[in-house]
Amino acid sequence: MNRPLDLYDIQGNICKGYGRFGFPKARYFFLEFHDSGFAREFIGKLLPLITTAETWPAEGLAGKPRSTTNIAFTYEGLKALGLPQRSLDGFPQEFKMGMKPRAAILGDDGPSAPEHWDPVWQGDRVHAWVSVNGQAKEFVEQRFSEVESLINQSHGGVSIRPGHRGPDGNLLAWQDASAVYENGKPTPKEHFGYTDGIGNPYFEGCGNNPQRLAGRGKLTKEGKWAPLATGEFILGHVDEAKEYPLAPEPHLLARNGTYMVYRKLHENVQSFNDYIDNLARDFDGSRDMLMAKLSGRWPDNGAPLTLAANDAEKAELDARMGQLKAKADDGDACAAGQLQALQARWIDFTYEQDKDGARCPVGAHIRRANTRASLETTKEAFNSPSALDDRRRLLRRGLPYGGEHGAATDESEQGIIFMCLGASLERQFEFVQQQWMNYSNDFKLGNDRDALIGANNGQLTDKHIVQADPQGDKAPFFCTHLPRLVETRGGDYFFIPSITALDMMAQGIVDPT
Amino acid sequence: MSNRSGKAYALTTLCPIRNGHEGNMSFDKITRHRIQLLEEDSGSPFARIPNTYFARLFILNDVFFEQGNDVHHDHLKSKYLVFTSNFHGDLKPYLKGMWDNANDTVRSIWEHAVAFDKVRNSDDFIAYIRKCQLTTSLFFNGSTDDELRFQLKSLYIKQAFSEFVLAHQNKSTSELRTAFNEFMQQMQSDNLNDVSWIPGQTRLSHLY
Repeated sequence: MNRPLDLYDIQGNICKGYGRFGFPKARYFFLEFHDSGFAREFIGKLLPLITTAETWPAEGLAGKPRSTTNIAFTYEGLKALGLPQRSLDGFPQEFKMGMKPRAAILGDDGPSAPEHWDPVWQGDRVHAWVSVNGQAKEFVEQRFSEVESLINQSHGGVSIRPGHRGPDGNLLAWQDASAVYENGKPTPKEHFGYTDGIGNPYFEGCGNNPQRLAGRGKLTKEGKWAPLATGEFILGHVDEAKEYPLAPEPHLLARNGTYMVYRKLHENVQSFNDYIDNLARDFDGSRDMLMAKLSGRWPDNGAPLTLAANDAEKAELDARMGQLKAKADDGDACAAGQLQALQARWIDFTYEQDKDGARCPVGAHIRRANTRASLETTKEAFNSPSALDDRRRLLRRGLPYGGEHGAATDESEQGIIFMCLGASLERQFEFVQQQWMNYSNDFKLGNDRDALIGANNGQLTDKHIVQADPQGDKAPFFCTHLPRLVETRGGDYFFIPSITALDMMAQGIVDPT
Repeated sequence: MSNRSGKAYALTTLCPIRNGHEGNMSFDKITRHRIQLLEEDSGSPFARIPNTYFARLFILNDVFFEQGNDVHHDHLKSKYLVFTSNFHGDLKPYLKGMWDNANDTVRSIWEHAVAFDKVRNSDDFIAYIRKCQLTTSLFFNGSTDDELRFQLKSLYIKQAFSEFVLAHQNKSTSELRTAFNEFMQQMQSDNLNDVSWIPGQTRLSHLY
């Protein structure tokens, strides 16, 4: 049962990936507070612009605003707003520390080390994150101007902190982001060419269509999909351990809020293309198949390898899709139903029939990020097959950035603004990043790191294994000398308060006693 | 419960430390300080003791037990030097090897243990440790019961072979055969004393 949540109290970006709802453009900017009183006044004035999690229709633009606005704060920001010390003390350690001192846990070393990050992140002066998403760039700019004028009215209490590296190496006051466009239409692609952002978790009360549950929830003992507990993603609600997540006092400050990771992840597109081109020469399969074996999904349409594990199966799948689509377009309701059922399998799958990774390699990106009950190697070892995964799920938000200026190289500005939300930064994001992306003991793959986002350094043993069928006569394929394909260019940990908490913060009446 | 598992032996000893002090440092603190100064990995004195798989030293203070609201606190009459070691073979030759190869370390770490001043030679040391020994079955899970140099050689070849595989992917059968023959010669698989990890080593520099 979906327990109703107070969606008007929850900020909209927690429950919705705006990109999926027809908002392909975004601007992220960061605030610095110079006076707590004026900063609180600014928040009060911004409050009516904040987008809540109220339910929108999935299709079409009717009933939706043209742009959205959301706000979140760093620990330093909450301090600068003058939150009482006792409330501040209740925040978890990793949030208080912020992202930079966690570099060793996150694999932010070498070119990803904080000293190389964009200037906006140097020092501890980022106090708040504001995001504006829009149906088109002009609506983003309109809303940005509205927020900017509120900043200008703040008597110097609030300023935009500049220093985002832009396309020509120039520094900008904001970070623009956009879906990648093909033939004038926004796509779910990122700059390496993968279809991204497919498998976001489904939790109790999230307000999303229950048809989206299969493959996105948790797997019960009976093998059925159920929504994850709300408390995995929103504070003040019971989590998968049947406990309330650790949260600051008073209760109203935390309830319906959550934590957010913001990371600017630069993509070395030239290195990626060179690496794949070079490796594809030795690989028994197409370039697309090789790309799929790194990520777990086919780059063109995101079909999972569990559904089509090689070129022949992919051609068959594409043909089947094509036939069903043609029939459905001709009004064949049966074909339309079959097409929908087939498309549901993009999300609704496990690795139960693929324990050896002969279809989707055990170390493929999507199999690391969302293990889909594959860590229960002995049947009924845990309370439910996905017990080890349910507490490590990430709500992913964000959009690609850059890439508009001709051929992409390693030096040109392009990548992903990665944002991920959850009730515990340490247990969810940091764990996945440290143990599953940059280490492989849980997958019995030794020290291997994720091929796409791992902190690899081009050594022989920086590798990804494409497992072969143990019953077949093919050898496994080793992707060696993996270079650093993704570099961190900045980021921090943020707290996204509820509307109630924002109002209390604006009024300066947060009282933990 | 048994201290033996095949040819592996799990030694657990609790040696009481004398109550008392030297200057402002109590004997247990002096002992702890000396333990903390010991080198690690291949520089560790335990790496010099033949056939040591794994060894650990620590000081046991009071003992706490906590399970829900059930909390017990046992105050001990003295602090204990705890020495645990997993090794290949029998206890007596192992302890003789310890006395002979890490004598300075043994004398320094056990200096303030009760009655250790009576220990003059390896026979005394063996008798002393056996008095302090507990019967346990605390085995280090990352080891077989083979002779150490055999295990080190296995680890070496395993790591070298995985690098060989990575470096020779997609070679023709004849190239692969030639390269593999060279590799096997390079490995000197019958030579347990060389072309191997040294005791205490934890990683190999890359071959390729």
